[in-house]
Amino acid sequence: MLRAYIWIYVAFLYAPMAIITLFSFHSSPSLTFPFEGFSLRWYEKIFSDANFMHSLWNSVIVGAAAAAVTTVLGSLAALGLARMKGKTKAVFGLLAFAPVGLPGLFLGISLVILYAQIGLPRSLFTIVIAHVLFTIPFFIETMRSRVEYFDLGLEEAARDLGAGPLRTFWLVTLPIIAPTIAGAAILAFALSFDEFIITVFVSGNETTLPLLIWSMMRRAVSPDINAASVLSLSLSIGLILIGGLIVWYQRRKAIGSRA
Amino acid sequence: MTTPPIVELYGVTKSFGAFTVLNDIDLKIADGEILTLLGPSGCGKTTLMRIVAGFEQSTHGRVLLRGVDVSNQPPERRPVNMVFQRYALFPHLDVFDNVAFGLRLKKKSKSEIKKTVTHMLELVQLGEYANRWITELSGGQAQRVALARALVNEPSVLLLDEPLAALDLKIRHHMLAELKRIHVETGTTFIYVTHDQDEATILSDRIVLMNKGAIEQIGTPEEMYARPQSLFCAKFLGETNILSGSVISAEGDTTYVDIGAGAAKVAMNGVPVGSQVSLAVRPEAIRLDKVREVAGKENFNFVDGVIQDVVFMGSRVVYNIRTPINLIKYQETRPVHGISLERGDEVRASWAADAAVLLTH
Repeated sequence: MLRAYIWIYVAFLYAPMAIITLFSFHSSPSLTFPFEGFSLRWYEKIFSDANFMHSLWNSVIVGAAAAAVTTVLGSLAALGLARMKGKTKAVFGLLAFAPVGLPGLFLGISLVILYAQIGLPRSLFTIVIAHVLFTIPFFIETMRSRVEYFDLGLEEAARDLGAGPLRTFWLVTLPIIAPTIAGAAILAFALSFDEFIITVFVSGNETTLPLLIWSMMRRAVSPDINAASVLSLSLSIGLILIGGLIVWYQRRKAIGSRA
Repeated sequence: MTTPPIVELYGVTKSFGAFTVLNDIDLKIADGEILTLLGPSGCGKTTLMRIVAGFEQSTHGRVLLRGVDVSNQPPERRPVNMVFQRYALFPHLDVFDNVAFGLRLKKKSKSEIKKTVTHMLELVQLGEYANRWITELSGGQAQRVALARALVNEPSVLLLDEPLAALDLKIRHHMLAELKRIHVETGTTFIYVTHDQDEATILSDRIVLMNKGAIEQIGTPEEMYARPQSLFCAKFLGETNILSGSVISAEGDTTYVDIGAGAAKVAMNGVPVGSQVSLAVRPEAIRLDKVREVAGKENFNFVDGVIQDVVFMGSRVVYNIRTPINLIKYQETRPVHGISLERGDEVRASWAADAAVLLTH
């Protein structure tokens, strides 16, 4: 029974995605079966659509900027947390991760109020700030799973051999954790690329890919939405897979070298 | 110590809050010696070494290296190098680059680095391994790389933090011999931290026995073994029989102790009558006879009992003897013509007056 349930659950979860993907290649504008044949026409259509290209480009810029800022701030925070001990560590670790449970609605509204009060006009820049706040807890948590297994003895060894704290970081700490940082940065990019709720509040006149897809939906259900969604979906899933695999592999390696 | 000491510690104290890890340690280490900090875990030996290395700051006290006060210098400025317990080799570098790490920081020329590193890898017998990755090394090989990485910087003092703890027994004995050879070839002063008394006695010129953040006794391995000054020392180094009792009288250089199974004579003076004391007698200093063969012969320094078991250990044989006061261990080299005593035999364990050490604490 439970086994059957799992099958139904997985089907329920993935069937819509499969259907959307299938119909994004449909040669006719019909969104219902029977399926009449494959074509790339909806992809051609969105790629020649200036609105689509503009918002895709915006999403890439925001994602890259947010990922870059998150990487610097998040790495420092994760490394700092690794050096804390006992209760302080538990408290700061929780504080760093807690925003994950914060509703996007809440973060969006509070940022809009903040921007209004300091007189910051809404733009791609404000989206980037919001996305940094949104992605940083995920980034820190991902990094921590690796940094917790970082042998601080390696830093002591570097100091012992004559490297000051800064050179120790450049010559030892950073090269060792760099692949993990890259993996976590890719995840941060994917999170930002997908983000919708907070972006609605802080975007002003700018539009990102999720916002565009949503506005397309409001006008009419058309087959090119399928193509846009599938593009967005595959980019995110691909990035999450790559980033996740890097982080997972690095963590396993670190645990292995400890044993 | 005729040459000036290479390391001097004065009043080194380390506290974490109300907890004192090291209490007022004074120690001088001679140039070129192998000195072992020995003690149970938590005795402060590792903390003391980390204070010399610069990884920990002492709460009070001073650390001098070659006569220079380095108490406030960070580890990268101190002329000492360390071999870490779990090697701490850089996983992103190969063997050569690990060993070259310190030389590159000192901006040595490429050709000089190549020459020195190659020479050092040969010294630790890893000449063929320069381009291996760290992950491809066995435990023993990793330990040699760690040793080479430290020694290549020609430190005034080489610090070794339980370097053999992660190796299995056979490799451990081999590495001890290697360490001795490398010590002879380089002449570097070694400070060696261990909780293993065998490693300490095999390797050291001098042992510093530590207990609860203080130095219990300092001496050569033989002094420590033959003349322990405390019960702790007697028990920590090697096996020993402890007989407790009280001093009943003293005449000249001889003290008489009631050990509950007659009286014992000890060559020692200055212990007041009535003091509670312990006698430490090493198992190999005991003489064992069958009771019926020696009955009535002696008045002092013996206790009768029954052999509880005979443990054959290759070159030696250990007998555990159940006596009214204590379980006594007796040890002898394996008799070539076979073991004549067996379980259940009534025996007399006796010892010479100068074979026992009188301990007052």
